[in-house]
Amino acid sequence: MTQKYTYAVELKNVVKRYNEIQAVNNVDLAIKPGEIFGLLGPNGSGKSTTLKMLLGLVQPDSGSVNVLGLNVKEDAVAVKRLVGYAPESPRLYEFLTGIEFLDFIGDIYGMQTEDKKNRINEYLKALQLEGREGDMISSYSEGMKQKIALISAFLHRPRLLILDEPLNALDPRSARLVKDFLHELKLQGVTTIMSTHILEIAQALCDRVGIMYQGKLLALGNMDELRHMSKMPGSGLEDIFLKLTGTGDIRAVVEELVK
Amino acid sequence: MNWKRVLYLVRVGMKAGRLIRGQRLIKYNVTRNRLFSYLMYLIPIAIGLAIGLLVGNFYNSQASNSQLQGLFSQGMQSLLFSLPTIVLVYSLVFTMLQQIQRSGVRFSQQVPYWLPVTWQEHTLASIIADVLGFPLISVIFISSVALTFSAFVGQVPLAVGAVLAMCVAAFMASATTEVFRILQVRFIGAIYKSTGRAAVWVRFVGSMLFFIVFYVIYFYITSGANALYFVQTVAYAQSAIWFVPFVWLGLTLYSLMNGPLLLGAAFIVLSLLFIVGLFLLGTALNSRFGLYEPPAITISRGVYAPKTGFLGRFGFSSVEAALIRKDLKAFTRRRELMTSFILPIVFLIIPIMSSLNGTQSSSASNELPSFMFAFTSLFPAALMAMSLGNFMTGEEGQNMWRLYSSPISAKNFVKSKYAFIIFFALLVLPITGAIGFLIYHPSLQTTLAMAIESVFMVFALGALSVANGIKGADFSEAPRPRMIRTKWAFINMLTCAGAGLAVLAPLVPYVLSTFSGSQLGIFIELYQAVIISGVIAVALTVIFYLMAVGNAKDLLTKAEV
Repeated sequence: MTQKYTYAVELKNVVKRYNEIQAVNNVDLAIKPGEIFGLLGPNGSGKSTTLKMLLGLVQPDSGSVNVLGLNVKEDAVAVKRLVGYAPESPRLYEFLTGIEFLDFIGDIYGMQTEDKKNRINEYLKALQLEGREGDMISSYSEGMKQKIALISAFLHRPRLLILDEPLNALDPRSARLVKDFLHELKLQGVTTIMSTHILEIAQALCDRVGIMYQGKLLALGNMDELRHMSKMPGSGLEDIFLKLTGTGDIRAVVEELVK
Repeated sequence: MNWKRVLYLVRVGMKAGRLIRGQRLIKYNVTRNRLFSYLMYLIPIAIGLAIGLLVGNFYNSQASNSQLQGLFSQGMQSLLFSLPTIVLVYSLVFTMLQQIQRSGVRFSQQVPYWLPVTWQEHTLASIIADVLGFPLISVIFISSVALTFSAFVGQVPLAVGAVLAMCVAAFMASATTEVFRILQVRFIGAIYKSTGRAAVWVRFVGSMLFFIVFYVIYFYITSGANALYFVQTVAYAQSAIWFVPFVWLGLTLYSLMNGPLLLGAAFIVLSLLFIVGLFLLGTALNSRFGLYEPPAITISRGVYAPKTGFLGRFGFSSVEAALIRKDLKAFTRRRELMTSFILPIVFLIIPIMSSLNGTQSSSASNELPSFMFAFTSLFPAALMAMSLGNFMTGEEGQNMWRLYSSPISAKNFVKSKYAFIIFFALLVLPITGAIGFLIYHPSLQTTLAMAIESVFMVFALGALSVANGIKGADFSEAPRPRMIRTKWAFINMLTCAGAGLAVLAPLVPYVLSTFSGSQLGIFIELYQAVIISGVIAVALTVIFYLMAVGNAKDLLTKAEV
C-alpha cells in the first residue's frame, strides 16, 4: 500500500469542551508513520478524549483530526478500518468463545478465511491462549481478556495501533512479547499510539512522548528533548512528568498523610 | 450498507442468548451439520404442511355440507386478515421478553465501538437477530399451514399476501423493540445509574407498572377467552384503530381483497414508510445513545463526609447502616434484584382474578371474601420475606470478598440483612392489604387479625430464609448471578412452608368452625388464636435468627468465593 500522507496522525488546533470543562484545549500534534508515541497525563487530563477523537467517536468542537491521510470527521468508518484499537478495559462479547470473537473481528475487517485462521492460531499460540480458545470469554481472567483485545487489534494488520494501557493485567512473558512485537511492527512502518500510566514502559518503548495536563499538551518530544525542556538533565520520565504536571511535591504530601 | 458485515453481526446477535440459556459450547473447528441448524425451521414447515393437508382433506370431504365449507372459508379469510396484527403483537412480546431476559445478564451485547461498523448495519443486524428464533419459527409454521390450506379453499393470493405481511410484521415488531431498547438503555438506564430519591421512586413505580400491566394481560388471556373470539376481537380492533400504524399491514390485506384498491395501495405505502421510519429512528437513536461508554466527564461536587444516618436512630451501628444502604441501592438499581417486587403482585392478582371468575360461575360462600383477603394480605408480604431472605446473601456475588475483608461481624451481617427484609416486607403489607380490603370488604376483626398474622409470618419466615440464604449462598456471577444453590432454594421453600403453617396452625380450628357454621361450635376465639400464633412466631423467629447468626459465623470464617 502506497502512503499518501506525511503524518500518520495529525491534530490541528483541536478543542473539545464538555459544558464548562475544557477537555482538550487547542492541541496540535503530528505523529510520523512508524513512530511509537506515548500519550501520558494524569487522570482527567484529556488523553481518552484525544484517543476517541482519533477514532471519530468524539467530534472536536473546532480544529481538524486527520488519521492516515483521512479526515476522521468525514469518514470515521474508513479510519476505523485501518486502525487497530485496544481499549483500557476490554469490552468484548462475553457470550462468544475467544475463537468466535476473533473470527468475528477478522470477518468484520474483511480478512480472507485462511489468512484469518492462520493468524488467529499464531497469536493464540504466541500469547499462550491455546486450549482456552473454545471457552466462553465470560470465563476468562482479566489478563486473558486483555490478550484477546490485543489480538483483535493486531489481527487485520492495521497501519495505526491505538492502545490504551496495553500491558494492563498481562503476565510478564506476554507483556515482553507485546513490547517486542510493537517494536517489530514499528520497523514495518506501523504507527503506535499508546496511553499508559506506567512511565517506565513509556520511557523504554516510545520514540516520543506527549504529556497532557488539563487538556493541554504540556510537553512533546523524545527523552532528551523532554529533559532539556524541563531542565532536568539525566532525569527519568517519572521525575519529568511529575515536575511538568505540578505534582512534584510528593514528599510533602506523604509527610502530611503520615501525620 | 455492507451486507456481509450485517450478516456477521446477525450471527453474533443470535449467540447473545447463550449466557441466558447456559448453553454448552462446542470447540473451534468442530464442524456442525448445517442441516441440524436449519432443522428448527424445517420441522415447522413439515408440521404446518401436514396440518394444512389434514384440514384441507377434511374440508374436501365436507363437499356436501356447503354451510360448513362456507364457514371454513369465511373463518380462514378473517384469520388471514388478522394474522399480520397477531404476529406483530406476539413478536413484540417475544422480542421484548428477550431484551428483558438479556438485561439480567451482566455482559454487553453492544458492538465494540471501534470496529468499522456503521450504525445502520448495527441497527439492521440487531433487528434481524431478534426476529430469528421463535418469531420466525412461528411465522414459518403459520405460513406453512395457511398456504397449504388456502390451496383447498381457493385463497392462495390472500394467503401469499398474508405470509408477506407476517414477515414484515415480525420485522416491524423487532424494529419497535430496538427503538424501545435504546430508549431504555439511555433513559431508564440513566435513571438506574443515578442516585437520589426521585430516581429510586421512578424505578420502583416503573417496575410495578410494568409487572401489573404484564400480569393483567396474562390473566386476561388465560381467563378463558377462546381463539375465535380473540381473532374476531383483533379483526374488529384493526378497523377501529385504523390510525395506528401497527395495524396498517392487516388493513392493507383487507383493503386489497375487499375494499378499494387505492386504499390498499395507500396502506402499503404507509406501512413501508412506517417501517423505514422505525429503522431510521432506531439508527438515529443508536448513533446518539448506543455507545456504552459515552464520553463524559463526571464532576464531583462537595466534600465527602460519612453520614451517621437516619438508621442510626433505630439502633443500627455504622456498619449495619452501611450494609442496609448498600442493599437498598442494589435492590433499586440491579434489575435482577428488582424482580423480587414481582412476587407480591402475582400473589395479589391471582386471588383477585380467581375470585372475579368465581363470582361469575358459582355462589360464593359468605366467608369467601375473608378467606381471599387473607390471601392478599398474608401471602405477598410473607413471600416477599421468604424470597428476599433466599438471595440476600448470594446477591453480594464476587464482591463478598469485600465483606470478608471488612470488620463485619456475623451479628452485623444478619441484623442488616434481616432488617432490610423486614422493612421491605412490611412496606408491601399495607399496600396489598389495602387493595385486598377495598376489593373484598372483610370485617374489621378479620382485617386486624390478618394484618397481625402477616407481621408474625414476615418476622418468622424472614429469619428462616436469611438462615437458609446464608447456608445456601451461591456467589458465582457468570453467566449471571445465581445467588442461591438450587437445593437450598427448595429447602427454603419447604421449611418456610412448614414454618408458615406452624405460625398459622392456631387459626385452623377457628377457621374450620367459622366455615362449618353451626355444625362445629367455636371452641377458640380469634384473639386467643392470634395470641398463640404470636407466641409460636416469636419462638420460631428467635430460633431461626440465632441459626442465621451461626450460619453467618461459618460463612465469614470460611471465606470461599
